[in-house]
Amino acid sequence: TLQSMQHNHKVSTSSRKPDTELPLQSLLDMGFTDTQAERVYDTMSKLKGGSAAKHALSTLTALFVLGLNPSSVLKLLEKCPELYTVQDSQLQQRLSNLRKLGLVEGSLQRLVAHYPQILIVPVKTIKNVVLFLREKCLFTVQQVKDILRESPAIVVENTDQLEYKFQYVYFRMGVKQATMAKYKLFRFTLDEVRHRHCFLERRGLYQTPDKRGQTVIINPKLDTILNVDQDTFLADVAKASAEEYDVFKRLMAREWQEQEPQLGSIEAD
Amino acid sequence: GKWAATLAKQPATSLALQHFDATYSGQLGELWPSIRVALLSEKKYGALFNNFSHESTLAQLEAQGCRDFISDTGTEAQPSEVAVEEESNCVSIKKSDIDGQLLSPLQLSPHIKCLVFPRGDITRFKPARPDMYGLLGYYLMDAASVLPVLALDVQEGHSVLDLCAAPGGKTLALLQTQSIGFLCVNDSSVSRTLRLRRVLRSFVPKQLLTDEKLHISSLDGTKWGEVESNTFDRVLVDVPCTTDRHSVTEDDNNIFSKSRTGERRRLPQLQLELLLAGIEAACPGGEILYSTCTLSQIQNQSVVEQAIFLAQENHGIRLQVVDLKPLPHMFRKTFHFAPNLHLGEMVIPHLAANFGPIYMCKLRRLS
Ligand SMILES: C[S@@+](CC[C@H](N)C(=O)[O-])C[C@H]1O[C@@H](n2cnc3c(N)ncnc32)[C@H](O)[C@@H]1O
Repeated sequence: TLQSMQHNHKVSTSSRKPDTELPLQSLLDMGFTDTQAERVYDTMSKLKGGSAAKHALSTLTALFVLGLNPSSVLKLLEKCPELYTVQDSQLQQRLSNLRKLGLVEGSLQRLVAHYPQILIVPVKTIKNVVLFLREKCLFTVQQVKDILRESPAIVVENTDQLEYKFQYVYFRMGVKQATMAKYKLFRFTLDEVRHRHCFLERRGLYQTPDKRGQTVIINPKLDTILNVDQDTFLADVAKASAEEYDVFKRLMAREWQEQEPQLGSIEAD
Repeated sequence: GKWAATLAKQPATSLALQHFDATYSGQLGELWPSIRVALLSEKKYGALFNNFSHESTLAQLEAQGCRDFISDTGTEAQPSEVAVEEESNCVSIKKSDIDGQLLSPLQLSPHIKCLVFPRGDITRFKPARPDMYGLLGYYLMDAASVLPVLALDVQEGHSVLDLCAAPGGKTLALLQTQSIGFLCVNDSSVSRTLRLRRVLRSFVPKQLLTDEKLHISSLDGTKWGEVESNTFDRVLVDVPCTTDRHSVTEDDNNIFSKSRTGERRRLPQLQLELLLAGIEAACPGGEILYSTCTLSQIQNQSVVEQAIFLAQENHGIRLQVVDLKPLPHMFRKTFHFAPNLHLGEMVIPHLAANFGPIYMCKLRRLS
């Protein structure tokens, strides 16, 4: 009957025990309200596997030590419950690595709140990305720090793709490292960058600078190309209709897909 | 390495683009960026339906989402402004302009069907298949190329000259009318004439390609008037030009390559001579259609203006420009037309309707 089903449901909810030795009282002691604490348990239950959330206490502690308040801690755990699975020692290594890269307290706190996934990425992966940015792309230490702070998702991107994006913007668009870092290039996917740039280029509004960095026309700034929504981009920069841009993007997707083999083979290495 | 190398070379396509940027931004103003991006992006095709084939019925093509743009006119017309009449297969249009004056109705060649995918749709056509007699179901070409043939208005029993015909797309469209009495097909290039023969064999039944109905030659078209003048009811003069779309996309066989500068500079003169030869070949009362696939004013309007002047001056031939104004209105669903051309009409490329460029101007021989 309906009644017995409801009864069963109620029983199963209240008898649900999170897979953690973290009692409600400790959460309240940390400053969570009752409802927040309920939601913390919810984030834990999102993880599959028996002892998945076994590092919950140390993770929560580490996040509070960073200076985050309960509500931001809750929000970031909802985004990234995998943090419960990270050993305390690893977490500390990763945090200290980020500090070494120049991300000190205020910016570290904001970075973690905004992109908690940064703490589930192994130190080695981040070191490789930093090495790539420093040695292959010749970004300065300061620029690398800015890139990590503004576009942290870069650490999980495929480095071949990253290299292609960097070379595209450096060589085809003639944009230097300082500008890329300043205007948050790495927040955008290669396709977003290429679509907008190619559209402008084919309209005659963007030129690859020559060896001395010169162009016949004045190129629009990277900032006004990327850091605006599509309507603004079309109205102010490309001076084109949404219909044209829509068809253009579909044509480009097909063009690139048909010449993909080269890029595919790079990925296969 | 790779990057620097592409920067150092100046391929013909970039020479073409530089040339067009310099001339067309002035000539076309604000329209140029939209046309430029369209020229540099994948063009659209039209499928010229082959009335002689038993393969691929219209229904099959229409099932894929395309439609005959020629019969698909005026559905969005404002009734107060335009009245579209359709009589059997012959489409005519009466358009009253703002003053309330009637423009003379424009007769279009009948039986021609050309299928296109709708505006903004980038679907490609599959290659046509042969029927049991080996005839192909449709010919893929720039749909805007059909307009000069439509505008030529071939009527029953007409003798027609196609002066620069290879590879034969417009010849095929002319034959679709099934009303030509006698057709002369010419192209000065022997190899291209061979290609034209192959095209005709793949689309037209043998019994329509007999000597009484069709004559194919490889003469210099500028000399045509000396051989045979005052003869044809209709003359199509589809001249060689800077083929703008080809020139900005293909480095092979590019008229902007350094070695072909002379040839390119002589184009307007050659075009003028071809048009004059076509005018001479037409009979009094006959009609001549001049067309190109360039946006260039010097190869379009200027050539026509000079031809009108020289025909009178050197040959005493008076000509009247036939108004093609109804065309842009009838086919505005399918093509973008250049606004306010003082002479002729021109389809301009646009990403959502990436056909053309095609320029056309029609003349009637009065004497
Ligand atoms: C634009 S193409 C014609 C396309 C053709 N009407 C079609 O629709 O398939 C121009 C043609 O003119 C030819 N041509 C060039 N110079 C010529 C001349 N002096 N006399 C005749 N034909 C010429 C070229 O060989 C070329 O095939």
